[in-house]
Amino acid sequence: MIKKIFSPKNLRNLIISLVVVGVLFLALSGYLTPLFSFSASPFISAQSWMAQRFLAFSDFFNSPRDMATLRSENQQLESQVAMLQSEIVALQENLAQSEILYTLLDFARTNPEHSYIAATVIGREISPFLQYIIIDKGSNDGLRYGMPVVTQQGLVGRIDALIANAARIQLISDAKSVVNVKLQTAEVEGLVRGSVTGEISLDMVPVETDVQIGDILMTSGLGGTYPPNIFVGQVLTMQSKQNVLFQTGSVQPVVDFSNLSAVLVITNFNSVDISPLVP
Amino acid sequence: MISYLIGFAGFLVTGMLQLSVFSQIKILSGSADILLLYLIVWCLYDRSKQLWLLVFLMAGLVSSVSALPAVILMVVYFFVFGVTRLFQKRLMQSPLLGVIVITFIASLLQIVLNIAYLFISGVEFNLNTALFEVALPSLILNMFLAIPMHAIIREIAHYAFPKGLEA
Repeated sequence: MIKKIFSPKNLRNLIISLVVVGVLFLALSGYLTPLFSFSASPFISAQSWMAQRFLAFSDFFNSPRDMATLRSENQQLESQVAMLQSEIVALQENLAQSEILYTLLDFARTNPEHSYIAATVIGREISPFLQYIIIDKGSNDGLRYGMPVVTQQGLVGRIDALIANAARIQLISDAKSVVNVKLQTAEVEGLVRGSVTGEISLDMVPVETDVQIGDILMTSGLGGTYPPNIFVGQVLTMQSKQNVLFQTGSVQPVVDFSNLSAVLVITNFNSVDISPLVP
Repeated sequence: MISYLIGFAGFLVTGMLQLSVFSQIKILSGSADILLLYLIVWCLYDRSKQLWLLVFLMAGLVSSVSALPAVILMVVYFFVFGVTRLFQKRLMQSPLLGVIVITFIASLLQIVLNIAYLFISGVEFNLNTALFEVALPSLILNMFLAIPMHAIIREIAHYAFPKGLEA
């Protein structure tokens, strides 16, 4: 029985099994790693050399076609990007315009005593000495000479001339413009005048009136040119000289005339021309 | 006839640019008048006898848009027409010099007439402020823009007067 177990054949199998198990044990425990690395490195080098040559060979034949495809795709994508960018710009402009119109609409809703027509500013006066704007609504839209023009912030001016589809607005900052105003706090009246530089100033305020910086000016309605209670501006500075009846000052307008893009024309107010009554 | 059409079309485009862009570009309170510059350059290159008609149309068009009285624009535009005719005979060897000189003179005339108009209208204004914050910056802007305007309109004039353009 023992002789049969330790036969040469079985003994050889046993030794081989032990060697295999030993080698596996050595390999799993990491003792054979340097040996594997040393023996595998020539094969890996050869393999990488082959792979690189193959890749180079493959690129040589395939790259021109891929480049052409990529170039055309790139051009298509670039044109798509350009188109989308122009769409974004157009949408942003529309959004800005809508915001302005919503604000104007909001102003019109909160001031229901007047009826309004919204108009877009399409041009400005050529002469630098005069302050006028041109809007895209005219007599065909129901506008008439002398109608007041406002924004959501306050008073802009009045219609000075008009044709069928456009009108010219004299801003309150024009040198020939005079607006009757009242000081909201002091309940005193005065005049707001424009100038050749586009700045506006307060005039004809009695010298005994206590005017504070920041006081709000609103239209008084006197003179019949503008309806009452429209914001005009705030007092910036005041000057009162000795032996004069009235004090003067500079005014910060509530409307930024340099950035006007849309305005509202008050259509239910008819200005009164009182010049024949002036002595 | 074609030259008149080209000249007037160019003036219309320049007018749109003036109203929408150049009236808003300011130094202090002064702004450029590229319509005047266009007229100066065009009149320098156009030698036709009926040019006065085009000048009249241009002045009429501008006076319908501007708040300035038509008479001021007529005076300035026909002054430009007259001076350019003189320069065509004497200084056409150096048209750029002619453009700069006429721009200076015409801008000065326009400023003087503007101030005179305000004065006659009874507007109270400080002359120093008007000169240094409006007139002088406008003059500088006009002089500055005269050179590029000359270059652009000269190219347009090549199409309008293919044989008559010299210098």
